[in-house]
Amino acid sequence: MAMATRVKQEPVSPTSSSSRELCSPPPALNSSITTSDYEQRILLLLQGSTKPISDKEIQNEIPNLSPQERAEAINSLLKQGSLEIFKQGDKLVYKYKEPSSSSNIKGADNEEKIVYSIIEKAGNKGIWIRDLRYESNLIVVTLQKILKNLENKKIIKAVKSVSASKKKVYMLYSLEPDSSVTGGAWYNDQDFESEFVDVLNQQCFRFLHQKKEAVKNCKDGPIAAQNMASASSKDVWKYISELGISKVQLSVQDMETILNTLVYDGKAERTVLADGNHMYRAIESLLPPPGIVRTPCGVCPVFNQCSDIGSINPKKCVYMTEWLE
Amino acid sequence: MSVLLGKVCSLILEEHFGEIVSKVGTDLFQWGPKPLALVASSTKLSIDKVKQSLCVLLQYGLATFAPGKSGRVAEYTIQTEKIFSLLRYPRYLYLIKSKFGVEAETLVEEFLRVGFDSASRLIVKAATRLQESQKGSDNASAYLSTLRDKFVSLVNKQFLMRCPSPTPVDEEKGEKPTGIPNLTVSKTQLHLPPTLNMKALTQLLEGEVADAGDEGVYWRVNFDRFHQDFRDQIMVAAIARRIDDNASEIFQLLLQLMYIRTDPWVRVSNPIPYSELRDTLRKKDPQSPILPHLDQYLKIIEEDSSGFITRVGDSGGGQFCINMHKSFEALTWTCIENIIVERFGSKAARIFRLVKDRRFIEQEKIQQIAMIPAREAKQLTYRLMHENFLQLQELRKTMATNAGPNKTFFLFHIDLEEVARMILDLSYKALYNAMNRRDFETNENRRLIEKKNRIHSIALSLQAQGAPAEQLQEIEEMMAPPEVDLFNKVMRRVQKLSEAELHLEETIFLMQLFLSYNMQ
Ligand code: SF4
Repeated sequence: MAMATRVKQEPVSPTSSSSRELCSPPPALNSSITTSDYEQRILLLLQGSTKPISDKEIQNEIPNLSPQERAEAINSLLKQGSLEIFKQGDKLVYKYKEPSSSSNIKGADNEEKIVYSIIEKAGNKGIWIRDLRYESNLIVVTLQKILKNLENKKIIKAVKSVSASKKKVYMLYSLEPDSSVTGGAWYNDQDFESEFVDVLNQQCFRFLHQKKEAVKNCKDGPIAAQNMASASSKDVWKYISELGISKVQLSVQDMETILNTLVYDGKAERTVLADGNHMYRAIESLLPPPGIVRTPCGVCPVFNQCSDIGSINPKKCVYMTEWLE
Repeated sequence: MSVLLGKVCSLILEEHFGEIVSKVGTDLFQWGPKPLALVASSTKLSIDKVKQSLCVLLQYGLATFAPGKSGRVAEYTIQTEKIFSLLRYPRYLYLIKSKFGVEAETLVEEFLRVGFDSASRLIVKAATRLQESQKGSDNASAYLSTLRDKFVSLVNKQFLMRCPSPTPVDEEKGEKPTGIPNLTVSKTQLHLPPTLNMKALTQLLEGEVADAGDEGVYWRVNFDRFHQDFRDQIMVAAIARRIDDNASEIFQLLLQLMYIRTDPWVRVSNPIPYSELRDTLRKKDPQSPILPHLDQYLKIIEEDSSGFITRVGDSGGGQFCINMHKSFEALTWTCIENIIVERFGSKAARIFRLVKDRRFIEQEKIQQIAMIPAREAKQLTYRLMHENFLQLQELRKTMATNAGPNKTFFLFHIDLEEVARMILDLSYKALYNAMNRRDFETNENRRLIEKKNRIHSIALSLQAQGAPAEQLQEIEEMMAPPEVDLFNKVMRRVQKLSEAELHLEETIFLMQLFLSYNMQ
């Protein structure tokens, strides 16, 4: 399929804006405007298809529509913003578009509307100012002015993202930021609570380790012992909740995140049950610490600088001397 | 091959055989196979000395020779991996002692000392040694029959093997004598125990001339067989750590059954039937507590992430293969992870395991999944990359149309073989450093050590002459107390360094093993 390229769209005239409240859920169909039956039918047709639809197809579907009426209906839909035109090859094709509530900003100019609609599209994940600039094609100064303006009017807000310390993302004022932006339970005001995570990691391990110790003398065969030593994420979640070490409410999902760090620590193994749930069990490393790290050179910070000649050499090495004492 | 390997090898050779042999060995290492005359010219040693050195190297199996391109001149090749055997002597002896007892240990020790020898001569030597060490024992000949039996069982168990001998040139087949002996030994003879005449042995022991019936047959130590045992020990110990002692006992049995049907060094063993395993276990101990749970244990070993065994069929209660290659891959991963824990901390190891698990992963994802603050995660990741534990790969994604700039992803990943090689190099260097330091410690205190030795030998000879206790005391007091202290301190240091060398050798062993499986 040839890529559809967007053609210039007729700007929505501000007069068509209704007096709807800001930030209400986007209407499925703008019912405040009288829509002719044909328009309705064309809309339904477009809504029902994921692919853009050509003029010809509309004609086939709704045969009793004259070309004149068709053009009128499409123009009207276009005005409402519930239709988009693309060029495919040399044909025009149409696609349904969620009517944006950008038309709902009172007294906004076109640029503001564009910015608003891009931010709206980004949902509760928000959008970074750089991406916003690319998509809107506005220069920085203008964009910043618009953003300030919208922020002041409490239409949008800036949220600090946890993924980078200076990165701010914009989203509609009423939205609750996604956990990928706030970091969920592990973040307090954009600061990663690394100690909290460490404590949970240790506690989870203690729980699994105790379970394992408890079955040391199990008489019912190794598989039974192994099953008894395993715990589901829910078990662990219950244990941690009862310990009361967490001020915030943790979800079972959060618990799995912590348990997975144990797996990556090489301290636990994860098995998948037939029903898709995970079981966790404490394990022992296959090998004791290897020989090389029991010598000073194995953990030496200046290993690469050390040689026979020069001031760092094995004969005069202070690490060795210390270790030999 | 790495420069470090060469350095370590020459140092090991120097310690065992002196400077000249080491020089020749290093020359061969640097240049690859080359004939006598060229060794002499590049080392600037006299032909005689080079000859002697090559003899020593050949005697201990550290070098081999083969006709060069022209077919008229022999070229010598150094066997680097054999040089490392020199470091393992204490481990070889310990293994033999625990498996076969002191007599066998003495036999192997003698072999390690001389390289190769005939059975009769070696047994006689060992008998004399045993008598000397066990004071008060009357007669060396009492050991002869035990020694002979042990010799036979060492051959049977393939710890000893027959040396190849020159085959006469077959002129009928149009072969021309080249002056380079062609050494061969037939497969059947390789581990065929010698028959020895006991009477002749006794005569030999008393210094008479006799023929024990093994003229011209020489034996030597089969290092691969020892390495096979070391390898098995590593695996069995790993299973014991991961599961329990019962599981490791089962695994040991599986290994035994593997050798009946499979060459010990292949990557994957031939299938071993469950029924055979059960019967062997039952024969060993009918009351064994493992028996009722045998199938369960097998399932657990099979399902463990280390992948030591796989189930390959269901006939006869199931059949199992031992995955040598995969096991050592898992062990190598573990070893590297442990090294990272000690060197960079457990958070770094978490990142390393995460990259291993995901194969390719972005920085952002690393901090997210590993639950490490972004800044710390970045530092650790870059540190690991800097030290060559991680590799960075750039992935450019070109956008089809005008949607913003082209995106570049940076993905981290691990090349296990590369890392193993790096660890190997690291170990070579650490070994080199430890050996150097040990030399240094002894050299620094050479006078002191010599003094101590002198005093010791004087004391011994006086004691043998029956000198009174006060006189002995006087001799001992020739060393001032601070000197004695210093001496003990130096000895402790040397001891500690030697232990470190042994530890390093273990890491080297594991890495070399993994790489050799990888190259198969
Ligand atoms: S000898 Fe000393 S300086 Fe050199 S690598 Fe070893 S510990 Fe580091």
